[in-house]
Amino acid sequence: MKKCLIAWVAALVVFGCQDGASKTDTVTLTLGAYTVPKEAYQKAIIPAFKKLWRERTGQEVEFAESYIASGAQSRAILAGFEADIAALSLEHDVERLREAGLITHDWKTGEHGGFITESLVVIAHRPGNPKGISDWESLTGPEIDVIYPSPKTSGGAMWFVNAIYGAGLKKGESRGQGTDPGYARSLLKRIQSRVRVMDSSGRASVTTFENGIGDALLTYENEALLRQKQGRDFPFIIPGATILIENPIALIDKNLEKHGNRAVAEAFLKFLHSAEAQRHFAEFGFRPVDTAVKAEFEAKYPVPDQLFNIQYLGGWTRVSEEIYGENGIWPIIVQEIANE
Amino acid sequence: MSRTRKPPGYGSLSLRGAALLYVGLLIVLPVIAISSRALGGGITSLWTQITSPQAMAALKLTLLMAFIMVLINVVTGTAMAWVLVRYRFPLKKVINAMIDIPFAIPTVVTGIMLVVLYGPRSILGTLFSRMGVEIIFDKPGIVLALLFVTFPFVVRSVQPVLMEMEPDMEEAAQTLGASRSVTFFRIVLPTLLPAILTGAALSFSRALGEFGSVVIVAGNIPLKTQTAPVYVFGEIESGNVQSAMGVSLFLLFSSFLVLVMLKLIQNRSQRHVEST
Repeated sequence: MKKCLIAWVAALVVFGCQDGASKTDTVTLTLGAYTVPKEAYQKAIIPAFKKLWRERTGQEVEFAESYIASGAQSRAILAGFEADIAALSLEHDVERLREAGLITHDWKTGEHGGFITESLVVIAHRPGNPKGISDWESLTGPEIDVIYPSPKTSGGAMWFVNAIYGAGLKKGESRGQGTDPGYARSLLKRIQSRVRVMDSSGRASVTTFENGIGDALLTYENEALLRQKQGRDFPFIIPGATILIENPIALIDKNLEKHGNRAVAEAFLKFLHSAEAQRHFAEFGFRPVDTAVKAEFEAKYPVPDQLFNIQYLGGWTRVSEEIYGENGIWPIIVQEIANE
Repeated sequence: MSRTRKPPGYGSLSLRGAALLYVGLLIVLPVIAISSRALGGGITSLWTQITSPQAMAALKLTLLMAFIMVLINVVTGTAMAWVLVRYRFPLKKVINAMIDIPFAIPTVVTGIMLVVLYGPRSILGTLFSRMGVEIIFDKPGIVLALLFVTFPFVVRSVQPVLMEMEPDMEEAAQTLGASRSVTFFRIVLPTLLPAILTGAALSFSRALGEFGSVVIVAGNIPLKTQTAPVYVFGEIESGNVQSAMGVSLFLLFSSFLVLVMLKLIQNRSQRHVEST
């Protein structure tokens, strides 16, 4: 037993050293991303960039990749995880890094406003749509069980609540009543009261739904398309009014300075905005930000009539206060539902 | 006290120092760190954090679920220990070894196992839901998860005491005409009580902090099926560190209180034994 252990440790040391010594003409990039685009990066984009960089410079790029929830990733980087590039789900999670001084440039002035992909909030339903789910209002029936993750534990889940609330505002608008917070609030409350399980992340909710719980699942369009790509029966509808999700990406200046790999990091970022990488994203279910690629995928990604973005709700700062703050709409609604 | 104390040698001094340092670094410092963070905003702000409706509901649910779990665990754990010590049956050794499995299984896996077994799609789950009982994503699921992860505590604290127990007292009682139940409640149970309480207190404290399995089997609906550890996680994730610290401190304090009470009871019964 003891001998085994010694041999094992020795093996670790030997192989560990070899690993460190042999690489001379390689450069390492550390990617700190959220979980959802993992497949797109691992299966298509990173291999393509490695090839491109090798052809261009003769140098090998090693990627150290981490995929965890957006908020957790942002905090990990803040706490000292030396990622060179942060590809996150929420603008706010990147802003946090800028406020802490890790990002010293104005990332929002970059290409496509600092965003790399887009997606929509959609409603997934059971095959054959037995409960006739067609829009937000159809989620409020007494026989419907709705699933979405908790906006408390998953920053990304705020998109879902934002989508419902914003759709409510849009509906008032289309009736010529102006943006109607009363209806928006009532819609959110009636849907929230149909929620049976609030998982800690978007992925966990998808798993719960796939385990047979619930009639409708709020999810990202790219998540649903990814399931379909994997050959699963995962039907969904795009509601007439829904929110456009914009995913930010930024180079982390402080870590680039430390690692001395700015050139390759900048090339990678440029590559992500290129038509080739944008096409890969589009194939993995993300809406491209590049206009030319957008046009190519027009049929795959129809634009709903009443699409709105976070600015429609007043931007993230206002939303996090008005909807999720201490006396925000969401916590109060949850309270009211529990008291009924 | 006839034993003379030798002046401590350097060896024993440094051993004691190391032990104290270890406890200090591993347990005392983190507790101080979280307490000072939680109290950083003052007592009143801490109080408002703990008494916010969501936090209160989560704490109440956690305490209630842990309490129900302890009641069940005390009975089943003692019975399990009794069966393992007093009876012979095939595969006894295997079953005895299996008692500790809950400690070895990642709690997330526990949650998944319970969903697979009792979830709405499973045979058992459909059976129960036809009877109008929802197990998973409701309170019974939480109790089940807690029972699973704390299962070994009571069994493993009662078992050694039962093994040490000489049968002469029980035999004497029975020859004097006591019925089996009287023998159990008057002779056996008082001897086992300190061990049962130890198991109960440990499982209660453990249950207060259980996260991995509960987050999967509870529905996590705020004010309904969201337990305190899940609430704390949510507060951390949404950046409300202060409120997370407050509720954490409350959990810490509760479990500390339970352990102190246990110690007091143990000391008392010790004195009781010594005086008789």
